[in-house]
Amino acid sequence: MGRLIEEIYVWRLPVRLYHWINALCTVALFGTGLYIAFPLFNPPLGEAVFYRGMSWWRYIHFASAFIFTANFLFRMYWAVFGGDKYGRFGGFRPWSPSWWGKPFREQVESYLFLRSKEPNYVGHNPVAALAHFLFIFCGSSFMIFSGLAMYGENNPGGFNSVWFGWMIPLLGGSYTLHWAHHLMAWIFPIYLIMHLYAVFRHDVVDRTSVTSSIITGYKHKVEEEPV
Amino acid sequence: MQSNQTFADVFKAGGVSRRDFLKFCSLTSVYLGLSPSMVPNIVEALEKKPRTPVIWLHGQECTCCSESFIRSSHPTIEDIIFNLISLDYDDVLSATAGHQLEDVRRKTMKDYKGKYILAVEGNVSIKDDGVYCMVGGDSFLNTLKETAADAAAIIAWGACASFGCVQNAHPNPSGSVPISDVIKDKPIIKVPGCPPISEVMTGVVTHFHTFGTLPELDRFGRPKAFYNTRIHDKCYRRAFFEAGMFVRSFDDDATRKGWCLYKMGCKGPTTYNSCSKIQWNGGTSFPIGSGHPCIGCSEPNFWDKGPFYTRLAEVPFLGSDSNADKIGVIAVGAAAAGAAAHAAITAVKKAKAGTEDNDNA
Repeated sequence: MGRLIEEIYVWRLPVRLYHWINALCTVALFGTGLYIAFPLFNPPLGEAVFYRGMSWWRYIHFASAFIFTANFLFRMYWAVFGGDKYGRFGGFRPWSPSWWGKPFREQVESYLFLRSKEPNYVGHNPVAALAHFLFIFCGSSFMIFSGLAMYGENNPGGFNSVWFGWMIPLLGGSYTLHWAHHLMAWIFPIYLIMHLYAVFRHDVVDRTSVTSSIITGYKHKVEEEPV
Repeated sequence: MQSNQTFADVFKAGGVSRRDFLKFCSLTSVYLGLSPSMVPNIVEALEKKPRTPVIWLHGQECTCCSESFIRSSHPTIEDIIFNLISLDYDDVLSATAGHQLEDVRRKTMKDYKGKYILAVEGNVSIKDDGVYCMVGGDSFLNTLKETAADAAAIIAWGACASFGCVQNAHPNPSGSVPISDVIKDKPIIKVPGCPPISEVMTGVVTHFHTFGTLPELDRFGRPKAFYNTRIHDKCYRRAFFEAGMFVRSFDDDATRKGWCLYKMGCKGPTTYNSCSKIQWNGGTSFPIGSGHPCIGCSEPNFWDKGPFYTRLAEVPFLGSDSNADKIGVIAVGAAAAGAAAHAAITAVKKAKAGTEDNDNA
């Protein structure tokens, strides 16, 4: 076992809170969303007034969606104004050759086993940053906008209908919007698998305690393993 | 018939009392979703304004819009074509035919230049210069352009004229397009549905005649008065939806009990129309009322959003029809398989590096 060289405080409390609230909301949203599209259980016979077989699922879906949205907005605020070295947008510059060039290429090569030595980043590496931008930033934004557009459908002329209703003609109709919202939901389990795998692998290969860092906030640098 | 009669003149000539005339005005205001204070405006418009001339063209269509229109109960079809609008040209309903009828169309276009309403039923084939739809010896594409040039406004009747309907469903062999793709410089009111509800059709005409303006339109160009809310939001089976009580097969007990048709592919939650409010055939019933799921006929490209009896649309994916969940499961499986393969290679590499290190030592 290599000796501990350094302990680095990487994920500050707001980032860790965002991460776990986001994780819980995503699981709740995905589960209830699938149920709404395919309601499985049948209520016992009786009058409709006694049952909440669909409205409860929808209620949980909408409630977690609003927590998810607020949490996302908070994380955006933190990324821009938080002054957090490891949790800001500043490091993500896909338009810049200095970002897109060598560091990104090296990381991709490393993932493709084309390099023996892994580049080491304390925060997100460039490939992780790109994945987060595509899956979490773009994915969440699409889900929030399309979700609010659909949420506004039962109150025409209301706030959500006015501000997000343009999503409906953009996607070619209410039905297509529902369908796109449903299809895009699947990017979250796909992301979850890649995310967990990458975290566990980096923890095993680099031994930076990245798995526990999202609970404690600390990552570690350890001595090269003595041969 | 004099060409500049007002509605009130026609009513009087037909022996309709003033009391009945006012009743009609009130009823019309209700259908238009107007407040009672607007009734005098309707009375004034119908008394003083000359009837609005209407030219009604038929393109690629099945005439179901006309079939619906002639079943209007408030007001009835006789009232409409003899008394309400001045329906100057309609090749389906006219007594005359051939050149005589085409002359009437040209005369109306000249006499009421910039004042007549052009009602279009059906869509336009534009492939091969529109040769797939010939009416009166000319392509419908040419006739439409010619007639639209001097129109005050255009009403696109039905799903065909509004969005394309079955003719431009995939693969669209005749290159059919909705009216709005051909005519860009005129205000167009889209009144979709396959067919639209008859009272909606007469309501739109009355609105234009009363106020001289288009009714307020939604983002798809449909009059808000009739297409502002979803069928789902006014559906009398909504309670069963919220309770999670669904029909699961067309011959189960739930069907007899009239539970929600959501699981049978009902498109009510994504369809904007007045079926669950105004209903059909003088308020007799509507599709969901008779136990059939809504097929979403007033929504754009509804034929391509099938099948009608499942909740999730099938999407062509890699040459096979698949739904969103199948694609999702396959993608998640692929991600998991990729991660597993990557882990295996990492393990092998690590083991190999370990052996080399040991050898070096």
